[in-house]
Amino acid sequence: MEEFLTLLLAGISVGAVYGLIAIGLNLTFWTTKTMNFGQGSVMMLCAMLTATLIARGWPQALSILAALGIIVVLMVFTETYTVRPALKIEGSMGWAVSTLGVGIVLQGCAALWFGSQALAFPDIIFSAIDDVVVFGVHVSLQYIAVLVLALALVVVFELLVRGTVWGRAMRAVSMDSDLASVIGIPTRTIVLGSYIGSGILAGVSGILVAQIGGTVDPAFGFELVIFGFVAAVLGGMGSTTGALVGGIVAGVLQQMVGGYISSAAQHGMAFALLILILVVRPQGFFGQREIVKV
Amino acid sequence: MLEIRDLIVSYGAIEAVRGVTLTAAPGAITAIVGANGAGKSSLLRAITGLAPIKSGSVLLDGKDITKLPASRRAELGLAHAMEGRRIFRQLTVEENLQLAWQFGRRRNAWADALERVFVTFPILKDKRRVQAGLLSGGQQQMMIVSVATICNPSYLLLDEPSLGLAPIIVQEIYTFFTERCREDGTTVLLAEQMAALALKVSEHGYVLRQGRVVREGPSKELVDSGLVAALSSAYL
Ligand SMILES: Nc1ncnc2c1ncn2[C@@H]1O[C@H](COP(=O)(O)OP(=O)(O)O)[C@@H](O)[C@H]1O
Ligand SMILES: [Mg+2]
Repeated sequence: MEEFLTLLLAGISVGAVYGLIAIGLNLTFWTTKTMNFGQGSVMMLCAMLTATLIARGWPQALSILAALGIIVVLMVFTETYTVRPALKIEGSMGWAVSTLGVGIVLQGCAALWFGSQALAFPDIIFSAIDDVVVFGVHVSLQYIAVLVLALALVVVFELLVRGTVWGRAMRAVSMDSDLASVIGIPTRTIVLGSYIGSGILAGVSGILVAQIGGTVDPAFGFELVIFGFVAAVLGGMGSTTGALVGGIVAGVLQQMVGGYISSAAQHGMAFALLILILVVRPQGFFGQREIVKV
Repeated sequence: MLEIRDLIVSYGAIEAVRGVTLTAAPGAITAIVGANGAGKSSLLRAITGLAPIKSGSVLLDGKDITKLPASRRAELGLAHAMEGRRIFRQLTVEENLQLAWQFGRRRNAWADALERVFVTFPILKDKRRVQAGLLSGGQQQMMIVSVATICNPSYLLLDEPSLGLAPIIVQEIYTFFTERCREDGTTVLLAEQMAALALKVSEHGYVLRQGRVVREGPSKELVDSGLVAALSSAYL
């Protein structure tokens, strides 16, 4: 029972982070129907930079902010040089190759700068061994903290999107970008903003996952971005609630298969179930079938 | 004054507008008529910055705006009611209007702007909290022209405002923008397949065929020359 609950909490907690990653992917998917295939490297870079700066004696908060600042610059570069040129040509898939390319180059650079073995990631709030006992079950505080942070970020994100002028402008761009620009919404700024937002969500996710795992290496983001993608598709591409639910389902599945069956089968089984779910519900849990425009 | 000089719009291999020069007289309605596919929408979309301009220029009050992004043109007082019922379906009527007001050239207070819309189209007041996608076609068109005029634009481009609407609604929409033009001195560029309708309310007209201006002149003269009959027979 204790093992089950531990796996469940781990699954929900990591799953909420997958949800955050998925929300980041959704964000650019809304505005441009594109996404950063190099997002895994963004997570890795942010976590690695944070770990390195903290190791050099920088204060933790400052290290995180500096890492996120570098991510913002990186996303501006990505949007300007890999996405915007491709968007000028209808139906171009150039962005897929270029964003993936940037990701791979970054991974290579990280291996050069930091070496290819794993860096230890420092404990930021709780350490892996901190726990509380609830009804006789040991509950990891780190998982709780990650879960709470991830959920808080989802809420903040929703408030920004629903409650602010710029959030509404972004939804407008996602619904009809021509109409949005005709009424005066600076669509290019919105697209750039969506890439920056997406990068920040990815960077924070990277830090949260590295915190749980305790280490980060150049290949760190690859698996994460796949689970983020799974969360987005499972939840229904574009839906925020869907991303969170999809992420948690994927996270719990992964933990349960890893804990009870075999950790080698973890990915294979999780994906097999995923395919099954998508056969039954191709639009995902919360996706709406595209209504054909008249 | 809105001027277009030697404008060429091309979508890859397709040239939709092939060297059009025209002037929309200040404070008047200018009609662009022509069959389906003549290039009317492409011309209007080039003026707002949506269609790819290959060469030529668009001048607003003598200022070359050819290279400006669409959102900057809106700030200059250019508004465009596009064809095909373009609205934000999932947003409510009021949210659609508010978004256009917030990002447009804001010169009027929101309450006044909204009040003016509701006085003109009272039905929109009843439907203000309804998702725009759920409105009837006529109500959507009323909202579209209200969105386009909420910031009192100096220039208003209208693309097929009558398409698919009941005659009584067409009447209402036409009355709306002819009065707006008269009251506010708005310069209107009206693209219509229904040549008879457009030439009746406009002062000047241009006839477009395969991307070129094949005739132009005072609307009355175009009507008298039997153009309307010629254009209508071209559809059949
Ligand atoms: N986005 C587009 N891509 C390719 N061709 C287009 C596009 N829009 C319009 N066209 C073509 O340009 C020509 C003019 O179309 P359009 O400007 O819509 O004319 P109208 O509004 O007079 O019906 C047509 O041949 C049409 O097929
Ligand atoms: Mg048209």
